[in-house]
Amino acid sequence: MNQDDTEQAPARWTRKDLLGLEELTREELLHLLDTARGFSEISTRSIKKAPALRGKVVLNLFFEPSTRTKSSFSLAAQRLSADLVDVVKEASSAAKGESLVDTGRNLEAMGVDIVIVRHQQAGAPHLLARSLKASVINAGDGTHEHPTQGLLDIFTMREKLGELAGKKVALVGDITHSRVARSNIWGLRKLGVEVGVIGPRTLIPGAFRELGVNVHYHMDEVLGHYDVFNILRIQMERQRRGMFPSVREYHHLYGIDQTRLAKMKPGVLIMHPGPINRGVEISHEVADGPNSVILQQVSNGLAVRMAALVLTQSAREAANP
Amino acid sequence: MDGILIQGGHVVDPQNGIDAEADVLLLGDKVAAVARMTEADVRANHRGLERLQIVNARGLVVTPGLIDLRVHVGEPGRDAEETIAAAAQTALHGGFTTIAVMPDTDPPLDNVAGALFVQRQGERAGFAQVVPVCALTRGRAGEELCEIGQLVEAGAVAFSDEQRPTDTPGAILRGMSYASMFDRPVIEVSQDLSIAGGAMNAGYEASLAGVPGIPAVAEELAVARACMFARETGCHYHAALLSTRNAVRAVKRARRLGVRVTGEVCAHHLALTDAEVRKAYDTNLKVFPPLRTREDVAWLRRGLAEGVIDCISSGHRGVAPQDKELEFGTAPFGALGLETALAVTLTHLVQAGVLGLSQAIAKLTCNPARVLRLQARKGSLTAGADADVALIDPKHEWTVSAGSLFSLRKNSPLLGLKLQGRVRSVIARGRLHELGG
Repeated sequence: MNQDDTEQAPARWTRKDLLGLEELTREELLHLLDTARGFSEISTRSIKKAPALRGKVVLNLFFEPSTRTKSSFSLAAQRLSADLVDVVKEASSAAKGESLVDTGRNLEAMGVDIVIVRHQQAGAPHLLARSLKASVINAGDGTHEHPTQGLLDIFTMREKLGELAGKKVALVGDITHSRVARSNIWGLRKLGVEVGVIGPRTLIPGAFRELGVNVHYHMDEVLGHYDVFNILRIQMERQRRGMFPSVREYHHLYGIDQTRLAKMKPGVLIMHPGPINRGVEISHEVADGPNSVILQQVSNGLAVRMAALVLTQSAREAANP
Repeated sequence: MDGILIQGGHVVDPQNGIDAEADVLLLGDKVAAVARMTEADVRANHRGLERLQIVNARGLVVTPGLIDLRVHVGEPGRDAEETIAAAAQTALHGGFTTIAVMPDTDPPLDNVAGALFVQRQGERAGFAQVVPVCALTRGRAGEELCEIGQLVEAGAVAFSDEQRPTDTPGAILRGMSYASMFDRPVIEVSQDLSIAGGAMNAGYEASLAGVPGIPAVAEELAVARACMFARETGCHYHAALLSTRNAVRAVKRARRLGVRVTGEVCAHHLALTDAEVRKAYDTNLKVFPPLRTREDVAWLRRGLAEGVIDCISSGHRGVAPQDKELEFGTAPFGALGLETALAVTLTHLVQAGVLGLSQAIAKLTCNPARVLRLQARKGSLTAGADADVALIDPKHEWTVSAGSLFSLRKNSPLLGLKLQGRVRSVIARGRLHELGG
């Protein structure tokens, strides 16, 4: 990415925060994806550094455990030459007497420019964004949104399938509790993609039909219909709460294996935001097979996050020169 | 004796069918007469009068002092949120001269000392009169019954456990049976937390917001069940906190069958929906029951118009800013309402053509008075009733803002919204309070 692009950015991107894909216009979404494409090239260089955020401080504020998202944001920030601070908070920090807003303000007082926040509650990044002058990037809030994951999924689909308008994408699994599903739905719908959700009725909000999303409870009926199957991780905890009867039954009805893959379109993309439960929602062979783009998703996550960091930061600077 | 003559106002006294220009004479702490009269008439007829205050009410609506059936105070236990005195003073700014405080205090109002304490704090403050709703069961736990007979003697106007930690239908049925001996209503609002354990209305908006939902069916279940218990026991069940279409229909069905059930809605449920909640995760909009859908609001309006819903309350609960400046799921439920309930009623019901002015005022005066068995003294301008009067400027337009609210706490769900109608002054048991704004 060259200097000219960075300077153009504020005109097409004016948000200091990236909280979700719902509120983005189609143009903003495309601008973000195009900016990310510029950054994906950096990863292929032998010296993987750009100066865009030199002198800026990026804070990872994670209230939930995360391996890949946190390290992806960390690497993205470091490649942009930013200083990086990691704060991992226990979910119970509020019980220790400091509220989220106070934590944010204290860290901001140390000169933080961008806060990457992951929190178990929907809306927590919005609260932080309202209270801070720093940019806030949502790295997953409860079961609401995970915009950079949605972006990297869409980025990967565009990379493999080209123009997405008219394409068909299925999201499989626990839709109710998935922030990845919501971000995918918002982003894909804006790009003219036909979106379907597949899973047990107890894990799919019926209200999603009102968004123009297809709802399927029986996966085998629609295997040949979609160009992409984005498979979500099933959380064992949901079974204990009676949301579905057993892992065995889940695998029987919704597990993607070679038999089901054979009934899908040739060239179908198999995606998964990770971490994978091998042998539950996806078989070993499919996860590592030729249709799987799971590792490309991870690589693309870096580019998308670099774009998010640069755009929010330049929008904030444009607003407060 | 002192007197107050309120001249030239548009008197709306639904209990007595008055909806016309008239003068109101108050003598001491009682209403003396509603008629056309001059200062000279009054002085001629009441020679012992020491002082007669004349209040010009031209252009104003003059109503009986309003009665709020649902105010949550922080006293005893959480005085920092809002004391009884503070709530009683805030009440006057909303036109309320009587407030019923709910028993979900710490400790709960489940004993005679608590009931007397609340009333004494109200008397000492000298603003709106404070009457206690006491717990139905000890500790609001849904097990042992409170001493309902003695609580009635100590001034309890109704009984309610509010939301219980666990659902115990047997105890509620026994409680309603026992309470029916004393001619007091039981207010049953508890919802099964295995269904209603979320933070906003379940449905489209919650699904997109990623916030755990509180399904409407949980409320319908609680209301329908309490209607059955009222049918079995003959107890007067007051269905407060109605917020959903099917709960309104359940009340309507029970009424048609002759069950003694009255209905109540909180004003904010008439003005806001769950779509507003999702916009910004604004914790001031986190109330229980949650703000529902437009369709539910339409049914609440219909219920009010048809008379299935008798009363409008504020559901007032002051919450300190540090408790509302939290994640949506963590922040406590609760919203201010005392200063906006009347204006919401005038704007969203009267202006909107759902209710006539007199019908609307009835839901804030004589109807709640009857529910709480206070009709002999409260809720009307009948001669001999308490000298409680609200003087309302029905045309005054204002925008709800932290600065426009008298209340110490500012957690109004209506901040930024325009309303029409504001209280100019109130008379509470013969004492005139001029209000700014």
